[in-house]
Amino acid sequence: MSEMHHDHELEMKKALRPNVERDNKYWLSLEQWKNDPEFMKMAETEFQSSPLKEGDGEDGWARREFLKLMGASLAMATAGCIRRPVQKIVPYNKQPEEVTLGQANYYSSAYFDGSDPIGMLVKTREGRPIKIEPIENNPFSISGLNIRSQASLMALYDPERLQGPKRSLFNEKKTNAQVIDVKWEELDKKVVDQLKKGDVALLTGSIASLATRALVSDFAQAFKAKHYVWEPLANEELREGQKASYGDDVVPTFHFDKAKMIVSVDADFLGTWIAPTAFTNQFVAGRKDIKNMNRMVSFDSNYSLTGANADIRFRIKPSQQLSVVMGLLHEIIVKQGRSSYAGNASIKEVLAPYADVATQFAMDPALFSKVAVDLWENRGQSLVVAGGLQTLTKTAQELQVAVNFLNSVLDNDGKTIDAKGALPMHGSYKELTQLIQSMAAGKIQTLIIHGVNPAYSLPEEMGFKDAIKKVKMVIYTGDRVDETGTHADFIVPDNHALESWNDMELSNGVVAICQPAIRPMYDTRSFQLSLMNWAYMAGQGPSRLRDYETFYDYLRVFWRSEVHPKFGKGQDFESFWQQTLQKGYAGSASKGSASRSFRLGAFTAIKPAPAQEGYELVLYPTAQLGDGKLANVAWLHELPDPVTKIVWDNYAMVSLATAEKHQIRASSVIELKVGDKKMELPVHIQPGLHDDVIALQVGFGREKAGKVGNGIGKNAFALATVSDSGVQFSGQIVSFTKLKKKYELACTQGHHSMEGRNIVVESTLKDYNKGQNGVTRAHVWSIWSGHEYSGHKWGMAVDLHSCTGCSSCVVACQSENNIPVVGKKYALMGREMHWLRIDRYYTGDPANAEAVFQPMLCQHCDNAPCETVCPVLATVHSDEGLNEMVYNRCVGTRYCANNCPYKVRRFNWFNFAKLIEKPMHMALNPSVGVRTRGVMEKCTFCVQRIQEAKTTVRNENRAMKDGDVKTACQTACPAGGIIFGDLNDPNSKVAQIFKTEERGYALLEEWHAKPSIRYLSKVRNNDKESTGGQDKGHGTAKQGEHS
Amino acid sequence: MHRVFKRSTAGVVALLGALMMVTLLTGCKFQPGWGYNKGYAPEQPIPFDHSLHVGNHNIQCQYCHNQVERSKHSNIPALSTCMNCHLQVATDKPNIQKLREAYDNGGSVEWVRVHMLPDFVHFNHSAHIAKGVNCQTCHGEVEKMQKVEQVSDLSMGWCVSCHREPENKAPLNCSTCHY
Repeated sequence: MSEMHHDHELEMKKALRPNVERDNKYWLSLEQWKNDPEFMKMAETEFQSSPLKEGDGEDGWARREFLKLMGASLAMATAGCIRRPVQKIVPYNKQPEEVTLGQANYYSSAYFDGSDPIGMLVKTREGRPIKIEPIENNPFSISGLNIRSQASLMALYDPERLQGPKRSLFNEKKTNAQVIDVKWEELDKKVVDQLKKGDVALLTGSIASLATRALVSDFAQAFKAKHYVWEPLANEELREGQKASYGDDVVPTFHFDKAKMIVSVDADFLGTWIAPTAFTNQFVAGRKDIKNMNRMVSFDSNYSLTGANADIRFRIKPSQQLSVVMGLLHEIIVKQGRSSYAGNASIKEVLAPYADVATQFAMDPALFSKVAVDLWENRGQSLVVAGGLQTLTKTAQELQVAVNFLNSVLDNDGKTIDAKGALPMHGSYKELTQLIQSMAAGKIQTLIIHGVNPAYSLPEEMGFKDAIKKVKMVIYTGDRVDETGTHADFIVPDNHALESWNDMELSNGVVAICQPAIRPMYDTRSFQLSLMNWAYMAGQGPSRLRDYETFYDYLRVFWRSEVHPKFGKGQDFESFWQQTLQKGYAGSASKGSASRSFRLGAFTAIKPAPAQEGYELVLYPTAQLGDGKLANVAWLHELPDPVTKIVWDNYAMVSLATAEKHQIRASSVIELKVGDKKMELPVHIQPGLHDDVIALQVGFGREKAGKVGNGIGKNAFALATVSDSGVQFSGQIVSFTKLKKKYELACTQGHHSMEGRNIVVESTLKDYNKGQNGVTRAHVWSIWSGHEYSGHKWGMAVDLHSCTGCSSCVVACQSENNIPVVGKKYALMGREMHWLRIDRYYTGDPANAEAVFQPMLCQHCDNAPCETVCPVLATVHSDEGLNEMVYNRCVGTRYCANNCPYKVRRFNWFNFAKLIEKPMHMALNPSVGVRTRGVMEKCTFCVQRIQEAKTTVRNENRAMKDGDVKTACQTACPAGGIIFGDLNDPNSKVAQIFKTEERGYALLEEWHAKPSIRYLSKVRNNDKESTGGQDKGHGTAKQGEHS
Repeated sequence: MHRVFKRSTAGVVALLGALMMVTLLTGCKFQPGWGYNKGYAPEQPIPFDHSLHVGNHNIQCQYCHNQVERSKHSNIPALSTCMNCHLQVATDKPNIQKLREAYDNGGSVEWVRVHMLPDFVHFNHSAHIAKGVNCQTCHGEVEKMQKVEQVSDLSMGWCVSCHREPENKAPLNCSTCHY
């Protein structure tokens, strides 16, 4: 390397270097250095890169340069102590009334992305949304959050969002996919000209917003357009089933809290099905009183979250779903001769083929008939549900009708099933098929697509991609040029939900207003305003569509005329509006309706499905990704799957027996063959899976989601098959061949067994009633003198009985505490950074394994093993019982992590914060420091919230009361499973749990670390004497020993 | 293997390093002010005179820094606060005209920050005000300053010296400030 070349390189670097302003006045002591050109040159290179590059040292020059640099940087270091960059403060021009620097503002809103409508609060700091918080006591979603509502925050700050309208440069055949910027005026003019020509169609996802629904129908009226509604996870089967059984075209709501006996046939109501957050609330509410807890039985064809939480879980394959329900009906009506249908000959005839379902399916016949008995004995207080992608087999409709009939037989309709409180899911594959047929026939000139991505989530044989080429003008209102966007002539970027006004019907009877929490960051326009603008420009449509300048005005007028009369209760509109904003909702949830009469004809038409041989496919959505809309949010990929704990991939799941049979190992790759479609996938061996099932997750394999989401996993939607009866997602015969390839999946929990230790403690209801809750006490003599806590003493109780493993808390913690995402490569090395993880253990025989979940976070031990080994006192004990981590003291020895028995400490191997791309840094919580490389970190019990509460209390001149401090994980938990508070306050909930709750135990009590967290043991309502291991033979964990 | 250093060079480097280390350590021991910004008084874009506003005109600190009682930050006033008076007062002065111009254009003034804490320190103004700590205790006699100067060194030792006083009943946990 020549000297000249090096100079040139320096110049280049200088040009690239950010211009950091320094205050020259302050350099007095360094004045002598300042004019020395030699020094200046050296200073330029300082810290820019390693002084020695690869290949340096080959010639003498590099060595000399290195020494010079060393000298210079040492000199800099001595004087460098007093060198500070100059910071500027730029105050507001006019002080906004609502902004107090450093204080958060909260705006009520709601979230819905095709499923799981929930109310939420948006926490903003200095005008930036930084966290999603729940609305307590929302009549529908009650409390807590789901994963995706919290992650939708990152979609707002996605650097790859479109920043302005685009148009494509299509050639004749629409084969190229370039897009260029376009002016709004030009776009609007061209769109309106085209709209005026007629033959307009709108394709949207399920719209939960009342005002938007009204606006779309106004728009449809204006341009004689037809509105098609479709969602990849449509819940159409439920509506069709309701229609056939009762004549109601609704997705009913369910009251799991009122059900004593719940049977789920592949309806993952705790994870992904319809409204899991609300259902988790209800389900857990029915279990909190343990002596009278509900029982949940799951017939599960993949290992769903619902199956994992079931008291009794049966593994089935999709083709058995209908038979299971018919079998239960046979048990009740024919075998036990119950219900008014017992004498009905035609029903008996329909049920006749299902007499030995349990034996045929290798289930325990006694257990199966006990399920039927329990259902009947709790009639009116039981609930049978089925639905979701896993049930979209050839017999999806029959299954729904059978389930409805069973519920009617059990007198549940109107009690635990509530058609009055209908949910806002309107999507339909039938409608979409009609639309595609019209498109292909050239009957549609203009197509507006909003909120769905059909080019990604439809199998090829639907013919969408060919049909869309026949449409003259396609207008797409997505936030990026994604799979569908590439087929559009105009991309009209929509605002993010946090940037615009909207409203939402959570369920029939509960409405909410969504407030904008930030001004639109880019040159985008809400979908609603686009429609309004086009109607205005064309001069067509009802006056309310054309008269207003913003959608906010439309919304207000709509609420004044349509919502206020129904929900206002005599209040004047202004105060009703304000109150709704303040509370976050209006109305009340439906409490039940009259029981409807069942149309027997639908049931007697059911023909027995021919038994299927061979492996069956199960496609299912995951709780983290859902249908894959938010695939570019790294949080969602980094979040371990609630059941498998795998990150950054999708995979084919097979049972252990199947894997052994085909010599498949954990890192094998198989090629699936469904019909003539093939897909290569890595294998995950899943305990508890039916031996004939190959289960696979949808929502992965995006091609145009962005840098994060592209190419993560494979697109399983492509394996769905289309037949006359509809789109089939599960139950197709699938074959596979093992390939000579290897692919490693990143699983954050390598060890699934408790090795016989008392980690997750569970008992059965029978044992519990006898006073055995599985907890063993260890009394250990201590060499420690203990700490004195004279003020507060923070503690937490985690109720394993409530925890469903939904992982909402993990995302909440990530959002609150600025936890970085590390990616698959480092997750494989075990370097994931989540402060709070949920451990999942299997118990029992691998073929029928039961799962237990345990949120695991820093236990804030009184005798903390980490504190004693830190050589620099970077982790110390506070006089409030917190195990403090002082980042600025930490030198990264990692001794503490080595000595932590709970493996909850996380080390920053890299400067992850530096990798945060703008504007994602806006989502960082300014109340929590961002950690740098070489620093250990861990759960702080949300110490920033404790400090904030203390200041509030002090400023308000009052004492701290229970509930003043709530940790992020606690607020996000839809099951109320995490309780935080002051143990020195005898009235606090947590103190009472510590004192009186029999189920409470400290983790690894015998080690006497004295954690500040008590876990409350889980109780399983399954009629057995002891849980797990022994009675099932090959238990990996020996839970039974303890009880 | 390629040897990067000659043995003698390595010795010189080691010696130099040791010397630097000694200098550093003795420096830090006997010059505790090193490394802190005590006495820092940067030029401001508009030479705002606290002695005139606070000293002569007796304007309360909280008139401008109005969020200090309810926020962890003490805010620099918005231009609209300045304009409460300066729409009428001293409108002929060039600096006020500069301010007025920025205000009318919807712009702002880039003040140079005087008191800076590292990002890993969380200081809360409202907590201290609520306890009755005077502004002057930390910021010095601002009412006499023509140009604001950092009076205290804002070091951890300085913070803790006050927190340690028993009569202050102030917490001494690390997580009081570091989180």
